[in-house]
Amino acid sequence: MSVAANGAGKAKAPPGLNAETFHKLSALATLALLVGVFALGNAAFFSINNGLTVLLQTSVIGLLGIGMTMVIITGGIDLSVGSVLALSGTVTGLLVKAGVPVPIGMTAGVAVGALCGLASGLIITKMRITPFVATLGMMLIARGLALQLTGAAPISQLGEAFGRLGNGALFRMVETQPNGLSKVIFPGIPYPAILLIVTALAAAYLLRRRSLGRHIYAVGSNEEAARLSGVDVVRTKIAAYVMSGALAGLAGNVLMSRLVTAQPNEGVMYELDAIAAAVIGGASLNGGVGGIAGTMIGAFIIGVLRNGLNMAGVSAFIQQIIIGVVVILAVFIDQMRNRR
Amino acid sequence: MTPPLVEMIGIEKHFGGIHAVNGVSLSLHPGEVVGVLGHNGAGKSCLMRILSGAMSPSAGEIRVGGKSASLGSPQDARSHGIETIYQTLALADHLDAAANLFLGRELRTRWGNLDDKLMLAEARKVLARLNPNFRNLGDPVSRLSGGQRQVIAIARAIYFNVKCLIMDEPTAALGPAETAMVGQLIKQLRQEGVGIFLISHDMHDVFDLCDRVVVMNRGHNVGSYRIDEVTKDDVLSLIIKGALPDDWAPRNTERLQ
Repeated sequence: MSVAANGAGKAKAPPGLNAETFHKLSALATLALLVGVFALGNAAFFSINNGLTVLLQTSVIGLLGIGMTMVIITGGIDLSVGSVLALSGTVTGLLVKAGVPVPIGMTAGVAVGALCGLASGLIITKMRITPFVATLGMMLIARGLALQLTGAAPISQLGEAFGRLGNGALFRMVETQPNGLSKVIFPGIPYPAILLIVTALAAAYLLRRRSLGRHIYAVGSNEEAARLSGVDVVRTKIAAYVMSGALAGLAGNVLMSRLVTAQPNEGVMYELDAIAAAVIGGASLNGGVGGIAGTMIGAFIIGVLRNGLNMAGVSAFIQQIIIGVVVILAVFIDQMRNRR
Repeated sequence: MTPPLVEMIGIEKHFGGIHAVNGVSLSLHPGEVVGVLGHNGAGKSCLMRILSGAMSPSAGEIRVGGKSASLGSPQDARSHGIETIYQTLALADHLDAAANLFLGRELRTRWGNLDDKLMLAEARKVLARLNPNFRNLGDPVSRLSGGQRQVIAIARAIYFNVKCLIMDEPTAALGPAETAMVGQLIKQLRQEGVGIFLISHDMHDVFDLCDRVVVMNRGHNVGSYRIDEVTKDDVLSLIIKGALPDDWAPRNTERLQ
């Protein structure tokens, strides 16, 4: 029955592949196509250095996207991640400026993000306010807090240690040449990229192999059924928002560390990139559908688009238009496939 | 005499000024099938939701095995061996049969990971018992037929050591063959000593399967009779009027005269 139904129509899923895998493959093909087009247009695009740059730039959207995916699977949405990112980064910046060691300051920043998520989760489950409104409120609260704490001024001169997370790299090989200058043999794998990969693997493991992950899908699929089946719906939802908040905090630390400056007005509209990454990756805003692998592909599609368009000299305004069109197209194609 | 499996005493449920359930008491013994009948909105589903832990009563007491029990959540009810097959089936559409069967009480490996292999094997076993033709276990349940979905909901209720089973219109979505299968299953469970509350509109099913009927009318329990005491007309009269016909006498004694 299902195979026959999938065999018809123009967006064909080959036999033996389910719809989700098919969506992922088509998104991956889109990504490959983008890379191909940009590489043909500009030789510098397809180089190790630029690859690492894309990886670095995508890490922030990727981290936000992972948290967003979990929230979207529960059938919710988290509009606060851009602001929480800013709040967490500025809290870390303030602490480091006050002389707190960097690792402790960063942990505190991530904890602030998790607290924001906890607050959103409690508002949604206990006060029964829709996720859209609750996280819209949290978006304003977190942004206001970040601006109030810093007086809207960036905190700079945070020291080398603060910048290491965002600018450091693993396996960086530098050779000192006879003439005294140093030459970079291999630029190394940036820490943010490693962080993104580790987080993505952990999140995928959580969603696929742990009860909590299964409950996240169940709650988004049919909340009442989940409740009647003995799933603790409240706890599951709160867990999703806490993870989203904590990952926004982590992304904030990565971003501020890269700039070596804590910027309270950083990350405006980042929530939309994160949502776009999840949706391009196949997550459904109706809940119950989505995955980390898809979101990663989605984040890289956005990252590659931004990077490639920048290198091609396309203005930031046109870039927004293009990404908007991509998001609508991705969802449209997905719906075409599911409608039959 | 052993205490009843489940006793509900003086249960009330109010929504604002509306008394959905009004001082209802009933009991269920092991190996007994009790039909719960009544109009839509008579309070029978409400009463059963209270017993399954999905809804908390405004007043009244529930005893399980003679001991007072508080059923604050579906988990509580399940831990007392009370399982429910909901009319809506309560399935998560995007998950497959095995995931739905074990939802909320997943089997795990030593490390706390989901044991999908074991869950699939167990699901295959229990589903095959109910429907030998059940194959597409890996599909999300949204792709399955109404009958298959119903079978998953039933399997979920009987897999875990059920003592008291609440079936809310279990055959509403089923064809004749599957309805007969459910009838068989009810008889088999009764023999195993399971107590069953059967909510049904189908008079034929009720008279075929039940030992006793309880009729609800406007939130009240208007009658509890052994099935051989009443006729279908008597039961209909209880459902509609809330009282037996004026000239009523127990059917079984009548026959003796």
